[in-house]
Amino acid sequence: MFNLKYKDDLYKFILSIFVLSVISVFLIAVAVILFYSYPAIIRYGFSFLWVKEWNPPKEVFGALTFLAGTFMVTFLALLFAIPFSFGIGIFLQEYCPLFLRGIFTVIIEMLAGIPSVVFGVWGVLTIVPWLRESVEPFFDRHFSSIPFLKVEENIGYGILAASIVVAFMILPIISSITKDSLESVPKIAKDGALAMGATRLDVIKDVSLPYALNGIYGGIILGFGRAVGETIAVVLLIGNQAIVPKSLFSVGYTISAVLANTFTFAVISPIYASAEVELALILLAVSLIINIVGRNILNKVIGGRFNRSQFGGG
Amino acid sequence: MAEQDEIKVNVKNLNFYYGNYHLLKNINLYFKKNSVCTLLGPSGCGKSTFLRTLNRMNDYTEGAKLTGEVLIDGKNIYDKSVDVVELRRNIGMVFQSPNPFPKSIFDNIAFGLKIHGIKNREFIAERVEKCLRYAGLYDEVKDKLHKSAFSLSGGQQQRLCIARAIATNPSILLMDEPTAYLDPASASIILDLITTFKKYYTIIIVSHNIQQAGRISDYSGFFLDGELIEFDEAGNFFTRPKDKRTENFITSRY
Repeated sequence: MFNLKYKDDLYKFILSIFVLSVISVFLIAVAVILFYSYPAIIRYGFSFLWVKEWNPPKEVFGALTFLAGTFMVTFLALLFAIPFSFGIGIFLQEYCPLFLRGIFTVIIEMLAGIPSVVFGVWGVLTIVPWLRESVEPFFDRHFSSIPFLKVEENIGYGILAASIVVAFMILPIISSITKDSLESVPKIAKDGALAMGATRLDVIKDVSLPYALNGIYGGIILGFGRAVGETIAVVLLIGNQAIVPKSLFSVGYTISAVLANTFTFAVISPIYASAEVELALILLAVSLIINIVGRNILNKVIGGRFNRSQFGGG
Repeated sequence: MAEQDEIKVNVKNLNFYYGNYHLLKNINLYFKKNSVCTLLGPSGCGKSTFLRTLNRMNDYTEGAKLTGEVLIDGKNIYDKSVDVVELRRNIGMVFQSPNPFPKSIFDNIAFGLKIHGIKNREFIAERVEKCLRYAGLYDEVKDKLHKSAFSLSGGQQQRLCIARAIATNPSILLMDEPTAYLDPASASIILDLITTFKKYYTIIIVSHNIQQAGRISDYSGFFLDGELIEFDEAGNFFTRPKDKRTENFITSRY
């Protein structure tokens, strides 16, 4: 029979296979995407990134409209979600009575589990009419001279509707990670500040948040990842027109939305399909770069403060 | 019995409950001005809980309840009129393991001054230097005051925490096993500090270490299962304990 050492090696071998299979699926996916996008990359080069026109019959493909839509929705969703998430996380961890904290936490985590199509439907039924009947008329009356706030078509659908709903979708991620990060701040560190006569607000500002920053930043990255790739809710809300949005209220299109809507037709024409796969490649690259760059910046900015254990040894 | 004006902290009939647990049972004792008092006892005996009742650190603990009085300079700190922020300015606290704030060395000490509304930069800088000198840390850190406090060694961090605790010019210092996680050399530096500090402060220390306690104490108390078993001058406490249980403890039978 096997002796212990031998068994150990066997387990190690089997577990390595599991790990390797995950890595190889990732690499194969990247390879396939590169392979299929190759014809479009060769044909359109870098101009793919700044050409506005997306015209399959003429075989003119430029991704600018989708890039603009994607980044606007992502940016606005983060802008809406981050302050709320911080507030929720800080409230839950620092101020909420214990018996309510559990209930609220479960509700927020359930929010994270709602399928995105349900969010989309909810957006169509509530956010769109609200924007159309209240918000857009208001902005049209008072802010029509400001280009970024100009209401072009008063239909409710568009960048703002999509951003609001995506903000709701990333809210649970960022707020629960904010809460968890604050929870992991050592009690003794907070006690130190309290014992000096600090108020709870002082403690949060000067001790808890600096300690928790690393984790909170991770939450924002995850939120970004979800927002940039969010598809179904956006398809339902953004208006799906390949134009570069000039205003908060413009309709638009995102990379993921155009893929979801058109990729099944695109496969008919090799160059059309290739252009769409190149869109997928861009999306993949953006997610990867954001993750890598984000973590590196973070290490440089606060590494000096965190690379030593908090109760640092002799 | 000590003269009334020599008493800094006077604890009367103190009971502390956490949920259904009766953690401190009718504690009565007093601490004299400018003395060092150590509180001894096995883990879980309530000595740290007791220490935290002296600056109301349990205020935010849900389910905690306290009866009795803690008089500091004759005034009950659990009186409704007492401002906790003001109270804590007068009581410095040092914890089991070093817990500097995620800030620079300078800002760690300036923190206490800033939260109490002091804005004068020269005053703050002066005070920071003075506290670091008191804590015997100034020469070691004077060239890196604006570096992270986490860049210091464990022993230095603990001295920084002591410097921080005295920055607001308190009259009482509470220390919860301040040398528990330090190497013997660092611990020894801190014990020496405590001995010099009693000129300025009334010092109350929770300790596990009987040798250390014997070295620095003027008074000692022994806690067991939430009760104060014995409280006496250190000379009597360590050589002629009245209670059998105290004797067992100081001869290390717990």
